[in-house]
Amino acid sequence: MKNFKRTLGRIPLKLYLFLGAALLISFFYNDFGLVDIQKTAVILAVGVDRAEETFSVTAQIAVPKGNDRTTGGTSAVEIEGKGKTISDCIEQIYYKTGWVPKFVFCNLILLGESLVREDVFCALDFFLRNEYMPDSSLIAACEGSAKELLSSASAIDDAASLALEKLFSDAAKNAGTVMKTTLREFAVGYYGADESGYMPYVHALDQASGTDGSAQETAEGGKQNVAQTEKIYSAAQTALFSKGKMVALLSSEETFLYALLENNVSTGSFTAKQGEEARSFTVLREKGKVRLNIDGFPSVSLTLRVVLRTNDRASASPVGDITEGILSREELDKAERTLTDLFSSLWEKSVLGGCDLFRLNRTLYRSSPEKYREWNKTLLFALQPDFSVQAESVN
Amino acid sequence: MNSATQTAVTGNLDTDADALRRKLPAQDIFSFPFRSERGIRFLVFFADPLTDKELLGEQVVRPLLRYEGTPAAAQVGENLTAPERRAESALDKLAEEVLAGNPVLLWEGMDKALVVGTKKVFVRAIAEPTTDVAVKGPREGFIEDIKINTSLIRRRLKTPALRIEMLNVGRRSHTFVALCWLDGITPQKTVDEIRSKLRRIDIDILPDSSYLTHFLISRPHSLLKQVGTTEKPDIFCAKIAEGRVGILADGSPIALTLPYLLVEDFQSSEDYFVPSNRASFTRILRLLALFCAIYLPAFYIAAQLFKLQLFPVKLLLTIAGSIQDIPLSPSLEMLLVLFVLEVINEASIRMPKYVGMALSVVGALVLGETAVSAGFVSTPAIIIIAFSGIGLYAVPNLIETTSTLRLIMLLIAGSIGTYGIILFTAYLLVCLVTTENYGAPLLAPLSPLIKHDLRDALVKYDFDALSRRPVALRSRNKRRHA
Amino acid sequence: MNRISARQLFFFLACIAPVGKLVLMPAQLVHDVGNDLLFPAAINCLLQSGAVFCVLTLVRSQKSFYTLVAERAGRAAAKIILALLMLFLFYAAIMPILEQSLLVQNIFYDTLPSVLTFAPFFLFSLFLCAKPLSCRGRLWDLLGPLAIVAFVGVLAFSVGQADFGALLPAGISGVGSIFKGAARSLGWFCDSAILLVLLGKLEYRKGIALRGMLFYLLGGAAVLLFLAVFYGVFSDIALRQIFAFTKISKYFSGITVLGRIDFLFIYLLAFVMAFYCSLPLHACVECANLLFGDGKVKTPLYSAAVNAVMFSLTVLLNLSFLRTGEVILYKLFWIFLLFCLLLPVLSVFLRRTPHEKF
Repeated sequence: MKNFKRTLGRIPLKLYLFLGAALLISFFYNDFGLVDIQKTAVILAVGVDRAEETFSVTAQIAVPKGNDRTTGGTSAVEIEGKGKTISDCIEQIYYKTGWVPKFVFCNLILLGESLVREDVFCALDFFLRNEYMPDSSLIAACEGSAKELLSSASAIDDAASLALEKLFSDAAKNAGTVMKTTLREFAVGYYGADESGYMPYVHALDQASGTDGSAQETAEGGKQNVAQTEKIYSAAQTALFSKGKMVALLSSEETFLYALLENNVSTGSFTAKQGEEARSFTVLREKGKVRLNIDGFPSVSLTLRVVLRTNDRASASPVGDITEGILSREELDKAERTLTDLFSSLWEKSVLGGCDLFRLNRTLYRSSPEKYREWNKTLLFALQPDFSVQAESVN
Repeated sequence: MNSATQTAVTGNLDTDADALRRKLPAQDIFSFPFRSERGIRFLVFFADPLTDKELLGEQVVRPLLRYEGTPAAAQVGENLTAPERRAESALDKLAEEVLAGNPVLLWEGMDKALVVGTKKVFVRAIAEPTTDVAVKGPREGFIEDIKINTSLIRRRLKTPALRIEMLNVGRRSHTFVALCWLDGITPQKTVDEIRSKLRRIDIDILPDSSYLTHFLISRPHSLLKQVGTTEKPDIFCAKIAEGRVGILADGSPIALTLPYLLVEDFQSSEDYFVPSNRASFTRILRLLALFCAIYLPAFYIAAQLFKLQLFPVKLLLTIAGSIQDIPLSPSLEMLLVLFVLEVINEASIRMPKYVGMALSVVGALVLGETAVSAGFVSTPAIIIIAFSGIGLYAVPNLIETTSTLRLIMLLIAGSIGTYGIILFTAYLLVCLVTTENYGAPLLAPLSPLIKHDLRDALVKYDFDALSRRPVALRSRNKRRHA
Repeated sequence: MNRISARQLFFFLACIAPVGKLVLMPAQLVHDVGNDLLFPAAINCLLQSGAVFCVLTLVRSQKSFYTLVAERAGRAAAKIILALLMLFLFYAAIMPILEQSLLVQNIFYDTLPSVLTFAPFFLFSLFLCAKPLSCRGRLWDLLGPLAIVAFVGVLAFSVGQADFGALLPAGISGVGSIFKGAARSLGWFCDSAILLVLLGKLEYRKGIALRGMLFYLLGGAAVLLFLAVFYGVFSDIALRQIFAFTKISKYFSGITVLGRIDFLFIYLLAFVMAFYCSLPLHACVECANLLFGDGKVKTPLYSAAVNAVMFSLTVLLNLSFLRTGEVILYKLFWIFLLFCLLLPVLSVFLRRTPHEKF
């Protein structure tokens, strides 16, 4: 018994020795099926397109620039994978590069025009399920193919995704020039009572390149020294979605108004046109309110209060006027009329498309589930919006 | 009685001299016979290199040459001019005294010998300790001589309550060990326990006070430090005044204090000479520096191998760029850089000073700059290890523990990543929390949480708030000042 | 270190016990009752705080649960009850540990690693369970403030994203569903059963039972706040967010610049959780100590046995987590009812002097 106890007493020491040895072995061997930085493809953005039954996923992968940090910036390469499902496409990317694609840094999902015409959740489902895909990543629809847009040479950054990230900055959001949304927010809208959502709609514009050609890496054939027109991008338009399908496209002005109603704008500007004359206004303060009244027949009232100053009169003004920027009643009326007109077209587009842009169904459900069950299918069409805008001048 | 089996002085000078010589056969032990005017035979035994012969002649031999009294010990002693003398009869003790440098005086007709304190004292000057530097505050440091060290303490604590008990440790070295405490403040139980542990020590020699730690702590195999150390008498006295026991060993400038609280090493003597807000800031800074030093290399590796998300994307790409052409895996690279740092560290401590400059050049330029340009290691790895190396010295007294912890953390991070770091930290926490010595928990006042003691832990309160001694030390007198 | 002070106990009840309810329970509640997730959680918090009160009324006797039962019903009965409690504690540890293993695979690694990466947890648990159960008190002194910092950090990063209107309409799932949800989530509220094992190690302080109950309610309120923020952030997709506390804080705008700084708080919570998850196993080892005797060799042996069996179970059930959860939490919820509510409430009758003040 004594010997047995002595043997047991020595176990901790042996256990520590064993653990130390195991630690050293695993340190030098290190393989739990894990993937380190050198075997990883850091995906900055993905573009998803659809052609009939096939998905095409383009991953923009960051390529480290090596020890020479003097040039700065990030270079990227676009790799495409095709398949029946998004997983198939990702697998293909893995086969092509030998790098394990990691989505943890993916900050943008770009949906091609072909995809947004049907329920985008056939593609977004994969990203929502993937535990390693941050649902804080931004989503956007684009004109044409997402692959082409991601592969285009940006005039303002090393990679298209990085240029787009600038477009979706907080500053742009606060200026009301873009209505950005994340995968989570879009999914909440899709699975919620309103079944609606929005996302920025990106299109690329040609910018004459100052260089004689840029080197572009492709999956197929390494570097190609092809002269490629550099692009600049715009995300001022907003795509509206209902039940996952794109149903309408808001213009940049409508997007701005929507941003005002959603209380997103801290300082933005818009232009009012009347005949030949144009006036630009800066919004210094705004308060938008959407109120759904469910007593009796449902109605919605949308109110917007803005404090404005003039930005540009498109004609020469005295210096005192420029300094003060005070608006006359006529000018304020003009601003109010412009905003009211914009609202009419915004409302019309959203109702016609069935997109519950102001989450009225959700509000209805939260305040009265019974009425929601009664009205949810017809609410948008039945509502007569009462929009009032009150513009004040800075003084 | 046969001189071989003799244990005490008999009064027969020849027999006694024979017996003592048998015990001290070394050639540097001399005996010097002489007679007084009335013909009494005297014999002085002394260790040649340790005894001040001039003093011996002046204070012992010269007075006794003129001695006209009887061989009675009291009378003989009164005639010596040496102030330090003591009667002793056990031969073993006498031999010990001779070896300690104190001459032994034997004479015919007396069954006692006199031990005379004319030891030659070789001491270096009291200087500022190199390991315990403070910008403000006293600069004195302990030296190797225990008597001078005790005098430095006595000079600061001029109270009869200061107890200094001399013990003898080491079967062969017979090193003096001084146990210091303040009566009425330090718990008697702690003093008794430490004394009994010191008495039970059975080792050949005691080259340094650090040998004692093994015998004084509850978990000798633990990685954690469990005994406080200092080279400065002002800190030593302050710790004693809080209710601790101090231990000095002859031949060692490093004093030990018990019980030890981990938080002690985050405090510096300087903290008490600067405003409390500054002291609090520096203490928190030390803690953060230490945390970074231990965890930064490990987290860097774990992030690269297992969790890239811990880096912001731009930093990740910079790192990915810098390690692109490195032939080693991230973990091996870091281990290599750490290994080089430890080698440079070790070599720079032991290297002659005049080659130190050359070493700096080799270390910084050849191993650093060239290794990066040659593509052996990456720049971030060197930056991280360099910061870690500096950070550890923010708390220099814990360097042995922390540098080992850093290595273990690195190995764990390279093996199982961040979760390993978390679990090892949890393991350490359990070890810290369950370790206590002499009734004082190592992690007090953080665990168990002692509200009062938090006033002088990681944050230092004003002088007025520190009127009571630390509760964790259970001192008998609670009040420190009004 | 032989006793757990009242302060340490309160730290456990208010700060550490809630931590175990932040991982899978929120998504499970959403699955059961949708936006009414606060109700079943509140019911369980209230019931459990009552049970905590009942157990803590026994602290004054300074006797262990075993001794108390033995004095009333004899040693044989005490041994049987303690053995059953031991088995229950092991059973109650299964879900939290499985949950922890999935959590570890998810938040500490970028790609799905082998379940073996979780094996070191059992080494830690083995080491910790071999220590006296009362050492938990000192650990709680440190873990309590850490849990508060981490919890506040996670909430501060996420509360700005929460739309609390998502919790409306309240009670839509119906009373029946709410009680069903409460019964099914009972498995996450085993704290009073653990307190039974701590009896005899807790230091008595006047009013400990009442204060303990209030502190437990405070912790419960923190859980409810977390659930509200969680549902406010994720609303209709909350069902998918199975590692709730790791998900809600990533939308903080500072993260885009500094990287995932919220991981600091997430890892802190995971650190506290590592201790919390091993607590039922530790209590289980303590029961074994009381039943079969303790010692320098025996206790580590019990600890090794308990952890080895749990490790095997984890490896075995790792891929059938949902099925296991269904059986343990949904079908066999009455076991929790027996040991986490009924036994603690009945334990009040073990008090010798029924009129003593708590």
